[in-house]
Amino acid sequence: MMASAPGGTGTKRNGGSLQVDHVTTMMRDADRTFCLEIRNLHMEPGRVVALSGPSGSGKTLVLELLGLLRRPDQPAQFQFLQGRAKPIDLAALWRNSGSALAATRGSIFGFVPQSGGLLPFLTVAENISLTQRISGREDASWVTMLLERLGIAAVRDLRPGALSIGQRQRTAIARALAHRPAFIFADEPTAALDPDASEAVIRLFLDLAQENGCGVFLSSHDLDLVQRHEIPRLSMQIDSIGGAVTSRLEGVA
Amino acid sequence: MIVIGLALRDLVRDRFFFICNVAVVVGMLAPLLVLFGVKNGVYEALIGELLSNPATMQIDTLGNNGFDADQIDAIRGWDDVAFITPKVRSQFDYVNVYVPEARAMRDALVIPSGTGDPTLPEGVLLEGFKVAVSPQLAEQLNLETGGHIQLITQAENRNRQLVLKVEVVAVLKPSVASGNTVLAPYALLDLIEAFYDAYALPDYGILEGRPLSERVSSYEGIRLYGASLEGLAALQTRLESFLAVGTRARTREVEALLGLGHNLNLALALVTSLATAGLFAALVFSFWTDVMRKRATLASIALLGVPPSRLALFPLIQGVTAALCGLALSFALYGLAARVATHLFGTGIPDGKQIAQIAPMQAALISVGVLGVIVLAVLAAARSAQRLDPASVLREGM
Repeated sequence: MMASAPGGTGTKRNGGSLQVDHVTTMMRDADRTFCLEIRNLHMEPGRVVALSGPSGSGKTLVLELLGLLRRPDQPAQFQFLQGRAKPIDLAALWRNSGSALAATRGSIFGFVPQSGGLLPFLTVAENISLTQRISGREDASWVTMLLERLGIAAVRDLRPGALSIGQRQRTAIARALAHRPAFIFADEPTAALDPDASEAVIRLFLDLAQENGCGVFLSSHDLDLVQRHEIPRLSMQIDSIGGAVTSRLEGVA
Repeated sequence: MIVIGLALRDLVRDRFFFICNVAVVVGMLAPLLVLFGVKNGVYEALIGELLSNPATMQIDTLGNNGFDADQIDAIRGWDDVAFITPKVRSQFDYVNVYVPEARAMRDALVIPSGTGDPTLPEGVLLEGFKVAVSPQLAEQLNLETGGHIQLITQAENRNRQLVLKVEVVAVLKPSVASGNTVLAPYALLDLIEAFYDAYALPDYGILEGRPLSERVSSYEGIRLYGASLEGLAALQTRLESFLAVGTRARTREVEALLGLGHNLNLALALVTSLATAGLFAALVFSFWTDVMRKRATLASIALLGVPPSRLALFPLIQGVTAALCGLALSFALYGLAARVATHLFGTGIPDGKQIAQIAPMQAALISVGVLGVIVLAVLAAARSAQRLDPASVLREGM
């Protein structure tokens, strides 16, 4: 079992939910038009959802859209709800300053890129605590817990260049969790890991979701792993007519 | 701010690229500083040599004229005139200088002067019955500052000599006065001229002659000094136009030196412009390439919630740091080169001076200029950083 958050630091965050309806985005190139549409997606706190679909179905694009990395086209609804607080209109952030958008993204979301995306000039511990510093929620004991839980405490003072690919990926996961975001978007988080490490990572995501109310969106091709942990799956539905491809995602998790 | 710390940490890790940028700045700036310093040093030495001789700034009217007091006063009011004195008729210039204690006497040329005359040592007040003497006259009559002498004039049509008792307030430097010379306030020479013109001077025991009150002073010539080298030629032209007479001055020599300085400045400006354009282009591409090279790092920082405006600080801080280090190193190398150059080629440079000179204000302006060029060069990189898409970390698997 995952260790609970170190005692009463005041940095523990409640989860939140995402309410998304008719959020679309379109990409065009010389050969085709790709349209992604997310309909009536409701993500409850503390849930882990696996996004599945064939390559090119737009899984990464879904993470970009939901993670405020890509501007949606006139959404009907795109809100972040947290307890009794006033809902945050995430779509409206795109119309305002880049600072608010970036701050919200850094505050309520955590990202685990496929490649790790670590800063090469910082140590493992510094990389992990960076999200805390940016969001203003520094908590060294939580970082220590993450280092231990992910099995990278021994390399805490090394830089990413000295790590194995698996260690880098675990560092990226720890970094995404460090500031206790409401949601984590993990793009193929276990792709570079050995089976044992993959198990540990998925276990950690599930524990976080259960204990902290953190929602986890992960895209994965490892369906066995997803099924073994009974993680609900949302599948991308693809329609293709001529050069136009439409990918849809819908569901409640 | 977090981004500043990250930028500096990255700079330390990626120090070879940083060293390249510093080297680019030093490679352009250090030779220019040496060139500029040497130009300053040599030019200042030449100017200093000119200015060390007060005659450089002197303008004398030619011929025998009859200027009046109004004309002299008008010229005295010009901003570009440092000192002016009228001259008496030249046949009255010679007097006998007598030292009563030593019973010694010599002939001497009396030159009109006064407080503020650049020929005098600084701070000397020359007014009333005070005079300055040339070193040769001082040596011959064993005169020192504070000594008393008599200026004796004798005219064929006068029964008595005019004896003026005066105090020596300065012995002039050999570089400004040769022969037997006395510098005296103009009023004393005017008195001598009145004596020659057969006016009565009862205060000096000359009772015969016309009443002095009937005398109207007329000035045969003018000696004046310009306030600046740059304004000397214009002053000479203005004076000639105002008085409608010819003048004599070392204007051509001054203009030649000023022209040399002007041409050197132009050449230096041309070299600086070319070097600055080269530096700017090199740094624009260097900083921009650096941002492209670090796209993954910058996109990762953006992904974590750093807004684009702050992300732009990343290359800006690195660029400014390179500029500051480049500036410091350039000035250090310049200082070294200046010492070596002074040691090797410093013959004729005054003691304590270097052959290459850059004034603190010039150094400050150069620093601000270089910083400005580098900040401009880094703006393109900052803009690129600002526009980086954080999603590229997810999409491109960087």
